[in-house]
Amino acid sequence: MNQTVQITDVKEFMTRHLVDVFDTMLSMKASLAPNAELPQFGERVSGSVGFAGETVTGAVYLHLSAPLASHVAAAMLGLPPEEITGEHEVNDVVGEATNMLTGGLKSWLCDSGFDCAVSTPAIIRGTSFSIEPLPDVEREWLVFDCGEDRLVVEIHIKLN
Amino acid sequence: MATKILSVDDSRTIRLIVGKAFRPYDVQMCEAANGEEGLAAAAREKPDLIILDVTMPVMDGVTMLTKLKEDAALKAIPVIMLTAESGRDNVLQIAKIGVRDYLVKPFKEDQLIEKAGRIVSLQKKAAAPAAPAAPAPVAPAAA
Repeated sequence: MNQTVQITDVKEFMTRHLVDVFDTMLSMKASLAPNAELPQFGERVSGSVGFAGETVTGAVYLHLSAPLASHVAAAMLGLPPEEITGEHEVNDVVGEATNMLTGGLKSWLCDSGFDCAVSTPAIIRGTSFSIEPLPDVEREWLVFDCGEDRLVVEIHIKLN
Repeated sequence: MATKILSVDDSRTIRLIVGKAFRPYDVQMCEAANGEEGLAAAAREKPDLIILDVTMPVMDGVTMLTKLKEDAALKAIPVIMLTAESGRDNVLQIAKIGVRDYLVKPFKEDQLIEKAGRIVSLQKKAAAPAAPAAPAPVAPAAA
């Protein structure tokens, strides 16, 4: 039986989960920056993973500046940053981090009665793009401080 | 003889992290990027342990595990599932098919080593012998 899930519950879960993913896999401290404005990235690397079920659909996007994405890739692979030279390595790490974030959300939704499956990750790179949700889909942004940089988790979700 | 471990994951990142975790040990790693390649690698390499991702293209981990357990030559190979999904139903499903253990992403390398070490023998690699001391320079003969 479905429990009641509010968008605020989703935001609270994702906040805890992002901090856990960054701490466990990257040994990097990230903290929510409440009321922060969306950062203006130059080149951006965005990971996306969708989820879909009979009673819930949506997607999670992880937006990082290109320098932070390289830093995250180096941290996850245990390599010095100067050894991260290819977009492929960075894309794979950002995709995997997004996969972990969405996998955790999927588990939390399933345990709350909203069964769903997740897609494989996709990466978007660019300097000027925006992602628009479909009608009736709620969108939330969570901005985090991570060292000297900022990152954004964007959640699109429709609960039936 | 080194313990042979097969890492099956579509993410090169995760395969690198798994390989890095076992680097201090006398382990021979082999890799596959999906369940189909994983089954072929398991038949070819006869690993002592498989670290298997759940969500992969071409053939996912649950399907690979099911086929592995149906194959008389491969069904005894122990499997640790690596999953980003910790939900009850997901864990119950993979437990029913027959995994030795599972690990939820995100995970620490120590957790993987601990779980693998309960199933296979992990011997630390011997430290490389110290390089022999360079011979002392010979003093030129006095004129």
